[in-house]
Amino acid sequence: MSAQLWVSVVQIGCFFGLVALGYYLVLEGADFFNFALGPFAMFSGLTASWLMAKQGWPLGLAAVLGIAIAAVLAVVTEVALVRPIDARTGGGELPSLIAVVAVLFAVEQLAGTLFGRQLMPGRSWLPGTSLDLGFVTVDGQTIVLVAATIVSFTGVWLWMRKSKYGRILRAVGSNREAARTLGMPVGRVRLVAFALAGLVVGLAGQLFSAKAGVSFQSGFGWALSGFLALVIGGTGSVWAPLAGGLLLALAQTLVPYYLGSASLDYAVLAVAILFFALRPSGLFVRRVRV
Amino acid sequence: MSALPLQKAVGSVRSAESARILGTLVLTVAVIGWAGADLFRQDLALLGATYALLALGMYMPFNLAGALSLAYSAYVAIGGYSVGLVATKTGWPLPVAYLLGALASAALAVVLGFATRRLSGFYLAAVTLLFGMAFQSFLLDAKDVTGGAVGIGSIRPLTFFGSELDRQTFIALTLLIVWIVGVAVDRVRRSPFGVALQSSRDVPAAVEAAGVGVPALRLTVLGAGAAIASLGGGLFTTANQTIGPDTFTLHLVMLAIFMPLLGGQGSAWGAVLGAVLVVELTFNLQIFERSGSLIFGVAVLAVLLIAPGGIIGYAGQGARWLRGAATRTRGARR
Amino acid sequence: MTVLLEGEGLGKSYGGVRALDGVSLRLSAGEVLGLIGPNGAGKTTLVDLLDGAQPADRGSLSIRGRKLTGPPSRRARAGLARTFQHPHLALDLTVRENVLLGAAAPKLAGIGGLVAGLVAGAFRPSGARFDATLHRVADALELGDLRRRCGDLTLGEQRLVEVARALAQEPSVLLLDEPFAGADSGGIAAISAAIRAVRAQGCGIILVDHNVDIVASLVDRIMLLRSGTVVFDGDPAECLASPEMQDVYFGTGGENVVA
Repeated sequence: MSAQLWVSVVQIGCFFGLVALGYYLVLEGADFFNFALGPFAMFSGLTASWLMAKQGWPLGLAAVLGIAIAAVLAVVTEVALVRPIDARTGGGELPSLIAVVAVLFAVEQLAGTLFGRQLMPGRSWLPGTSLDLGFVTVDGQTIVLVAATIVSFTGVWLWMRKSKYGRILRAVGSNREAARTLGMPVGRVRLVAFALAGLVVGLAGQLFSAKAGVSFQSGFGWALSGFLALVIGGTGSVWAPLAGGLLLALAQTLVPYYLGSASLDYAVLAVAILFFALRPSGLFVRRVRV
Repeated sequence: MSALPLQKAVGSVRSAESARILGTLVLTVAVIGWAGADLFRQDLALLGATYALLALGMYMPFNLAGALSLAYSAYVAIGGYSVGLVATKTGWPLPVAYLLGALASAALAVVLGFATRRLSGFYLAAVTLLFGMAFQSFLLDAKDVTGGAVGIGSIRPLTFFGSELDRQTFIALTLLIVWIVGVAVDRVRRSPFGVALQSSRDVPAAVEAAGVGVPALRLTVLGAGAAIASLGGGLFTTANQTIGPDTFTLHLVMLAIFMPLLGGQGSAWGAVLGAVLVVELTFNLQIFERSGSLIFGVAVLAVLLIAPGGIIGYAGQGARWLRGAATRTRGARR
Repeated sequence: MTVLLEGEGLGKSYGGVRALDGVSLRLSAGEVLGLIGPNGAGKTTLVDLLDGAQPADRGSLSIRGRKLTGPPSRRARAGLARTFQHPHLALDLTVRENVLLGAAAPKLAGIGGLVAGLVAGAFRPSGARFDATLHRVADALELGDLRRRCGDLTLGEQRLVEVARALAQEPSVLLLDEPFAGADSGGIAAISAAIRAVRAQGCGIILVDHNVDIVASLVDRIMLLRSGTVVFDGDPAECLASPEMQDVYFGTGGENVVA
């Protein structure tokens, strides 16, 4: 395998890891997989690409607006949809699942209606810059993506350790009932988790679509990949989603390289069934605190 | 007063059940008449029928029993490819293909259901969806069987006692089949079997304790639902005489979830109504152009939030309220 | 009297905590066995082990001399029926439909039965062939209007429906887990009468309840459980007067007094 492939593993792995980090935050705060995070990332990327290509906006402004919209979408999903439906159905898993799939579909169609249904090509944040490591060349966008990933993970890690809400989020994640009994603001922390997840995947969508392009249906596949990355990584620590993302990217790059392109989907299915059957809690499991 | 003759007429229909059967038959015949010889309308009717069978296939396992499978795009495709293969590689009559497709889909659904029997909720959704993706790759990859990206073309039409059915007749037949399946599924809903299904969604332990094995119950309806969806794929393929890997995409499964929700889960006809609405919104409404799917998505969200009974459930509530209001005024007059 | 149900050394642990430790029991035809004990004594665990809702860690079970194993559905087909401590009813369905589940379940057993039920449902959905059973049970328990949604019923009425569903199974062994909790005096009378009626037909009944007075008036024998073991097994009057009973309910063990 050529060294250049490793660069793409790192790059895709960072992206999957960021989306999985979004899942992780929502899972800690709300005990629930927000599949709509993939389309939020797509919406963020597509908004910025469209603003730049069709409206002539500068990159920085378009990117900030895109990320902000992803966060707004996440908050609206929680406040206007998940919370009321949870309240009505008593918090069952199936109604919430259907609700996020409906959000996924609606956000996808909203993007398709607003920005058109064709692929928007990516535009690098650091064109003309590349890093020559001797055995391999890393392009500017990959450098930005890796740097942003490290910053995001470190930021979330520090936030969950140092800030008031971050600590509450950890407490809620390890024992919701106890947290509620102790009078912690469980509902507000949930909202913060959703918003933060929106920011993280919004950034991920920006950076990845700048590299690989984006269309209104990209979010569906991203949602699945992020979910798998989290399942592989587990929820043992803030960094587990990144490990899961990198492993998933490695598998997705290696398998077609050695076994042909169709085997990728078989391999992903096999990995998923294996993980769900044997280790549904992922590789990095939190030690149970009694 | 003026309502009395109508009430008498309704009363002469023996029960709500016969009313439902006759009413839906009238509607089916009306759709057949509406489609007529118009090619565009025939396409809409065919698509509506296919979606309706897909939604009816989803209805029993998902809406009644709460057993989720997102591999429906695969089941529909199996029905389609079964027609393609039987038509091009054998001399067998096409109905054999419908049967084979239904059996293959049912068997696959049972195997997949068995392999995932311990999973629930999000994990089950992900695995079945990934299965759908893997199946899509298989369709592209197994060129010898499926024709790869090109698919299978020039499929011969259905013959009936030696004469070929023209497209108009075939689509009329398809719509009648949808009606028959709709009647059957709605009757199953109210039967003891349907009662066991619906109870297994909310109180599986009680169904087990009563003597019905819940895992076997779930597998049975997963298989039956897959067979119904596969029939839809088979009929669609017969009418269009071609099938490829893009005919039934992964996104179809989202429609399959939403259609019964939108129409109303309280009755199998809700699934059919949902299918009609999808086709109307996404293909027929020219004014909305490409925003039809968006309207559909928003409508689903609205139903989830404010009208969990779906359109039929809401209409039923309204009808009950009206009837109640009528009784109340009559009582006041007396 | 013929022995219906026989359990030998039944045990169950949860993460090292022994919920049930070597319990043996015998139930004869036409016998009502009362199962009492404080909260956490293992009463519901024992019912779950008998019915198969939870697998036993140790011990064996037989019904009419044949081994009783497997999931609850198989045991139900061997003649076992149960009610739950918290009513397990499909709240969107009607009273009739919930009771119908009990009556029709034997016909829906196994894959063959399920497929037959699916096909029959498409042609003959009414379930009218079970009407005789339905009405007999409904009259015995005074269920009233069978078309009401179970979600609209009071807890007491839901208890009655739950007992009715179990009776509709026409079991030879009936496990009732706190059937009187939440029921009003009319409901208590109806359930008591139903228990006496099926007892007269030779059904063996295990009755779990907190209410010692009601239990004592209905049962032929009492088993007193404490911390997962049987501390008394015998005549109801003797049990109430026994030192074990005094110790469990009124002793200084720190356990709650249950009326």
